[in-house]
Amino acid sequence: MIDRILLYIKDKRHVNIYITFLGVLIFAIIPLFTDVESSYFIYFLFLTFVHIVIAQGWNLVAGYAGQISLGQNAFFGLGAYTTALIWLHDITKTGYYFDPVVMILSGLVPVVLAIIIGIPLLSRLRGDYFAFGTLGVGQIIIVVFLKARHITGGADGLHIPSTVYESMMPYYYTGLLLAFFAIAVVYFITRSRIGLAMRAIKEDEMSAASHGVYILKYKVLAFAAGAFLTGIAGSLYAYYLFHINPDSVLNMNWLFYPILMCVLGGTGTIMGPVIGALFMTALFSFGDVYFAQMHPIISGVLIILVMKFMPNGIIGLKDKIFSRG
Amino acid sequence: MSFRLIVQVLVNGVLFGTTYGIAAVGLSLIFGTMRIIFLAQGAFIIFFAYISYWLLTLLGIDPYLSLLIVIPVSLLLGSAFYYGIFKEAAAIEDKNISLLLAVGLMYLVENIMLVVWSPDPRSVVTPYTTLVFRPWGIVVPFTRLTALFIAILAAVCVFIFLKRTLIGTAVRAASEDMVSTTLMGINPNWVNAVAFAIGIGLAGVAGVTLATIYPFDPSYGFVFAIKALIALALGGIGNVYGALLGGIMLGLIESLGSFYIGGGWADAISYGVFLLVLVFRPQGLFGGSIKKA
Amino acid sequence: MANQLLEVNGIDVSYGDVQALWDVSIKVEEGTIVALVGANGAGKSTLLKTISGLNYAAKGEIIFSGKPLKNLKPQNIVDRGIMHVPEGRRLFANLTVLENLRLGAYIPRARASFAESLERAFTLFPVLQNRKNQKAGSLSGGEQQMLAIARALMGRPKLLMLDEPSLGLSPIFVRTIFELISTLNEQKATILLVEQNINQALRIAHQAYVLKTGKIVMSGAGSELLENEEVRKAYIGERIRRRQR
Repeated sequence: MIDRILLYIKDKRHVNIYITFLGVLIFAIIPLFTDVESSYFIYFLFLTFVHIVIAQGWNLVAGYAGQISLGQNAFFGLGAYTTALIWLHDITKTGYYFDPVVMILSGLVPVVLAIIIGIPLLSRLRGDYFAFGTLGVGQIIIVVFLKARHITGGADGLHIPSTVYESMMPYYYTGLLLAFFAIAVVYFITRSRIGLAMRAIKEDEMSAASHGVYILKYKVLAFAAGAFLTGIAGSLYAYYLFHINPDSVLNMNWLFYPILMCVLGGTGTIMGPVIGALFMTALFSFGDVYFAQMHPIISGVLIILVMKFMPNGIIGLKDKIFSRG
Repeated sequence: MSFRLIVQVLVNGVLFGTTYGIAAVGLSLIFGTMRIIFLAQGAFIIFFAYISYWLLTLLGIDPYLSLLIVIPVSLLLGSAFYYGIFKEAAAIEDKNISLLLAVGLMYLVENIMLVVWSPDPRSVVTPYTTLVFRPWGIVVPFTRLTALFIAILAAVCVFIFLKRTLIGTAVRAASEDMVSTTLMGINPNWVNAVAFAIGIGLAGVAGVTLATIYPFDPSYGFVFAIKALIALALGGIGNVYGALLGGIMLGLIESLGSFYIGGGWADAISYGVFLLVLVFRPQGLFGGSIKKA
Repeated sequence: MANQLLEVNGIDVSYGDVQALWDVSIKVEEGTIVALVGANGAGKSTLLKTISGLNYAAKGEIIFSGKPLKNLKPQNIVDRGIMHVPEGRRLFANLTVLENLRLGAYIPRARASFAESLERAFTLFPVLQNRKNQKAGSLSGGEQQMLAIARALMGRPKLLMLDEPSLGLSPIFVRTIFELISTLNEQKATILLVEQNINQALRIAHQAYVLKTGKIVMSGAGSELLENEEVRKAYIGERIRRRQR
């Protein structure tokens, strides 16, 4: 029995699982060693967890279905606003703070949007067109949220009473849980028939079509799953931020960061976005201390450099190095 | 609703639409050869608007005269960017790489401008900025009229180039079938670079004329990029001539939208039209079917 | 003693993980018509595309006019004197006949003799002169094929490669095309021809190679192969086997 477990662990393909579980364990016990409330490191990790989730969200549609979404900010914002609205109007009346029902709902609203726009955009359009479609939708959402003042509070947005805030701990652990969940989702989708189908689509859409893969269904699924992940990340972020407005949850950064993280780490891999998220969050935290306004510029330069020299991301680099052997 | 008012709204639309139009023509050329939508176009337009602004503020050069500097510079910059950044990616089958490069470039240029030139809006103000004609009581600002003429002139120059020169013909051929074009002995990088350079050149023209009409700031680049994109979609992505018309159409839609519905909703309407066209008529209102690469 | 214009030695070509050509060698003598025949998917087009630079050859060499050519960029290969008319013609449908011809003479040395080449093209293909300002896409199939060949000739090539010129044409046009190929050869053109229409191809070819699943299985004079039992059996056999699948 132990032999089997050891064999399982030693199998290269399972390294990812091994690392993930180890990582979760490590991150789970870190708070025991620091003063959670005042530690910047804990905040940094929390942010990383959120980033991991949105990165995996983009990863699903770009890495596995081969479509570039330029509207992830819409999903993030929708998730955040849904949570804020539910909270403010006390819809669920459960009284829990991090209500999983609320979070799931916040994830489902973007899913609805994803399906509504995904079906037409993905069925007729390819590549570039889908990108612009999502771009357009994202922009429309911003305008709508800015204008619908009586529901969304317009430019000022919504305020959740911050008196509810007690401790950083639940944020941290919920973040960790969500990050793990996001990685698990990607893992299971990849390994499943759905993942196989999606990879086939990405490799060669025409031959995939001839093999009976119902392309549209899988693309929309990838898109919707990505939207769900991004939405719950938005929800978590809303709980943290307390003050939601278009500028904080719908801005271009939320469009751009998932792309940057996946591209850095390796789109279409399971751990790539995680590495990318870690790297980028670290870079920006560091950057914020020393050159506050520079990080958007650095992200732009990074994307260009990565696309030119290592389009497969950091993970691709590792493969390149090891395949020389 | 007075007739004059409606004409005014329409005139406004056309006047501004041509600026969208030439930005879209630039996008169309780049798409035709490289098969990507160059999202950074808007950022470059604003960049050249700033150049025009600084040429005026620091050297006292009139914006229209500055075109003599901006156009060659933009053409050179375009080729430089192509060879520097896009060349390898253009040869790759997966166009997402080129697309992401464009996205990165857009982010980069816009944010550099934000840092270097601050988010404060700038205006190019000259003695004729407030000059206005009033034919039949319709308000036609001088700057917008000139913008129209410059845009049309630029477009005509590009069209003549495409139709009457050998290189231009090569660009048209490449837009249709790049592989066949290489079989004629034509270097695809050369063709791409020419198309790209012209695309940036048109961004230069658009930027300078934009500067004379509106106050601008770095974040406007993104908005303009989307507008140019919408204009392109309206005109038909494969269609260079349609792009100009698409721009004018967008100008009209915006103008009418602002007038009847007002304020920020006009933007949402433009985006809405964009989505509708993408979904229901991807070949645009004027375009034929998209030619394969 | 005629010159060896083109020599392909032992090339391997793959599309991704799938190998398409295995150790393929052919020779093309100056002033001759060489035919490449074989069933669909045997690799004939792949070979032409490798010679013209569209495909990458992992192994082997290609020597043209005594100089190595393998894996050069297509535009450089055109400059060396090879014009490739691809399968399906691939004309610039939105450009006029004249513009297509102009692009055929794009390279500097061809551009210099543009007027002369144009006149020759119009003499060989009078119908093109009539339609010179029409869009290429509006021509009939046969006319398009003529334009494709004319366009390639505008490049003043030393070697003309034609990929399935008779594809999709009516029988009358098929005959016209083969007559044309013979005529061109009489006018000293060297032609490498890929054809599914084995009969016609072997009839006019001085030398022919039979390709089967990426390998050269037979070679010889065109007339020889035409009489060859195996060729006839294999060719027909191939057809029957296909139908049974």
